[in-house]
Amino acid sequence: MAGKSGRRSENRFIRYLILFTWALFCLMPILWFLSIGLRPRIEIITPQPIYWPSFSLDAWKMIWQDWPMAKYLFNSVAAIFGSVLIDLVLAIPAAYALSRFTFRGRDDIAFYILSTRMMAPAIVAIPIFFLFRNLGLLDTIYALMLVYAAINLSIVTWIIRSYMLDIPKELEDAARTDGAGDLRILWEIIIPAVLPGIITAAVIAMIFAINEFLFTLLIASTPNAYTMSVALANFTGGSDGVIYNAIALVSFIAMVPVFIVVLAIQKHLSRGLTMGAVKG
Amino acid sequence: MARIELIDVQKRWGHSVGVRDINLDIGDQELLVLLGPSGCGKTTTMRMIAGLEELSAGEILMDGQPVTDVDARDRDVAMVFQGYALYPNMTVYENIRFPLRMRNVPKSEHRHRVREAAAMVEMEPYLDRKPAALSGGQRQRAALARAVVRSPQVFLMDEPLSNLDAKLRQSMRIQIKQLQRKLKITTVYVTHDQIEAMTLADRIVVMHEGSCQQVGTPDEIYSDPANTFVASFIGSPPMNLIPGVVDGGVFECQNVRVTGIPDSVTGSVTLGIRPEDCSVAGNNSTQHAQGTVYGVEPTGDLTYLSVQAGDNTLDIKANRDYRSELGEIEAIEFDTQRLYFFDSANGMRIRA
Ligand SMILES: Nc1ncnc2c1ncn2[C@@H]1O[C@H](COP(=O)(O)OP(=O)(O)OP(=O)(O)O)[C@@H](O)[C@H]1O
Ligand SMILES: [Mg+2]
Repeated sequence: MAGKSGRRSENRFIRYLILFTWALFCLMPILWFLSIGLRPRIEIITPQPIYWPSFSLDAWKMIWQDWPMAKYLFNSVAAIFGSVLIDLVLAIPAAYALSRFTFRGRDDIAFYILSTRMMAPAIVAIPIFFLFRNLGLLDTIYALMLVYAAINLSIVTWIIRSYMLDIPKELEDAARTDGAGDLRILWEIIIPAVLPGIITAAVIAMIFAINEFLFTLLIASTPNAYTMSVALANFTGGSDGVIYNAIALVSFIAMVPVFIVVLAIQKHLSRGLTMGAVKG
Repeated sequence: MARIELIDVQKRWGHSVGVRDINLDIGDQELLVLLGPSGCGKTTTMRMIAGLEELSAGEILMDGQPVTDVDARDRDVAMVFQGYALYPNMTVYENIRFPLRMRNVPKSEHRHRVREAAAMVEMEPYLDRKPAALSGGQRQRAALARAVVRSPQVFLMDEPLSNLDAKLRQSMRIQIKQLQRKLKITTVYVTHDQIEAMTLADRIVVMHEGSCQQVGTPDEIYSDPANTFVASFIGSPPMNLIPGVVDGGVFECQNVRVTGIPDSVTGSVTLGIRPEDCSVAGNNSTQHAQGTVYGVEPTGDLTYLSVQAGDNTLDIKANRDYRSELGEIEAIEFDTQRLYFFDSANGMRIRA
C-alpha cells in the first residue's frame, strides 16, 4: 500500500516537474519582456550582464505620456474584434451552405475559398491601397477591420466548415421533422454544436490580426489608425535610437487582450460538444 | 390521422439500392410494422415518408395528396431516429420541448406536456441532464418522448426500443400501443424484434433487399407465408425448409418421407414445417423423418431439439420433459395439416 501510494505521488511530482519546466520555457520570453520593460534604458544596452536589475517605470511613463498608447490599444482591440465579428457573420452561413447543401461546384468553391489564403499578401497591397483610398477609408480603423476580415475569412470559413461536416446529418433531420426551418436549425442546433470550432476559428483570426503589420502600415498613416503592432515601429528608429524597454513593454501590452480572451473561453476550445447526440 | 400511400417507390444512390420497389397502402390510424434483416431498406422507407430523402422514382400520397414537393417540416410527422439524434446542447427537457416550440404550441402548455411525455418513458428524473450524461437506453427514451410530445399526423418510429431491457421494453410497448390507439395516429414502426412486431402490428410488412415480400396481419404472416424468405424470417426458431421431390403424392428426400401430398404439388419443391408442428414420434405414430440428435436445449417450458436428417437440420419444439443423448437416433412426426410447399426454383408458395 505504502509503496504504491509513494509511487503515485512520485509520479505526480514528475508530472508537475515536466509541466512546470514546460510552462517556464513558454513563459520565459514574456518574463524577459517584462524585465526589460521595467528597467532603465541604460541598463539594457550595457555590454556587461547585470544580475540584479534595478526597477524603473521610465518606459511605462514614456509610452503612455509621450505617445497615444491608449488610442493605439483601442484601435487594435476595435479593429481585431470588428474583423472577427465580420468574419463570423459571413463565415458561419457560408460554412453551413458549403457543408450541408449539395450544389454544383460546391467542393471547388470550398477549395477556392481556401486558396485565397495561399496568395502572397504583397500582391494585393497596391490594389487594396487604391481601393480604400477611393472609398475614403484610408487611415481609419474601419479599413483595418475590413482588411483583417478579408485576410481571415477563408481560414475561418474553412475551420467552421470542417466542424460542421462532423455534425451528424440525423441531427438536422430531427430538427426539420420537429418543424424547424433552415435558419432555426442553423441558430439553435448547428451553431451550438460547432461552438468550439467557431471559437477556435475566432482565436486564430484574432492572432493573425494582432500580428498583422503590412496592411496596417499601408492603411494607417497617422495615430488615428495606428495599432499596437505599427506603434511598435515608432520605437525602432528616429533620433532616440531603438528604445528597447518601450518595445518590450508595448509588446507585452499587445498580448494582454488576446490573453484575456483566450483565458475567458478556453473551456470551449476543446471539441466534443456533439458527444451524446447520436448512438455509439 | 392520415392515410399514406407509397406507389412504386424507389431509392437509389448511384448503384447502391436502398429501396427497390415498394407499394404500400397504410390505412388511417393503422400501426404498420416494417420487419426485415439489416440493410433491407426500412430506415430509407421511413425517411422517404418523413420527407428527408428524395424519391428516385414513384410517389407518396398522404390523404390522397402527393407530398413529393412538401418539405419535411410541413409534413407533420414525428420521428424517432434509429440513432436518437438528440440535440447535444440542450437538456432532456429542452429536447422534448423543441417540437412544441417549433410548432407554436402555446407556452403555457409546454411544461405540462413535456412532463407527461417524460413520465410515459420514465425519464422525469433526468430532465435537467444533457444527452452526453445519459445511458444508451435513457437517450433512446428521451428520443421517444420528443416524438410523442405532440400529436402529429404520423408517427415514424425506427427501432425505438432496441436499447432497453426486457422489462422496460415490454411496458413501453404497451404504452406505445395505448398512445397510438388513444391519439389515433397512423404509425410506421421498425423493429427487429418479432415479439414486438407480432404484438404491436395491425399489419406487418416483411422486407428483403429493398422490396416487399409480404404484407399482412401478424396471423397471416405467421400462418400463411408467401415465400420461403418470409417463412424463414418469422418464428423462432424459424420454419424448417426441406428441399425434395414430390412424385405421386409422396414427398421424398434423404431421411424424410411424407405421403398424402395434394395433387397440385409435384416436382421439385421445398417442404416447410414449423418447429412447433413437429414432435418426437411415438411408437405407433407415423415417422416422417429420422436422424441423429444434434442438440438438446431444455428451456423450462419446452425443449429445443435439433435433429440431423441427411443434409437437413430440423428444429423441433419438443415436450419440456424430453431428454436424449447427442448422437442418438430419433424419429420425428410432422403435423400433416400444417405443411407448406414452396417452388424450389423461385421460393414462392404453392397453394393447394
Ligand atoms: N446515403 C446512402 N448512400 C448509399 N447507400 C445508402 C445510403 N443510405 C442507405 N444506403 C443503403 O441502403 C440500404 C438500406 O439502408 P437502410 O438504412 O434503409 O437499412 P435498414 O433496413 O434500416 O437497416 P438496419 O436494420 O440495419 O437499420 C443499405 O444497403 C444501405 O447501405
Ligand atoms: Mg435502419
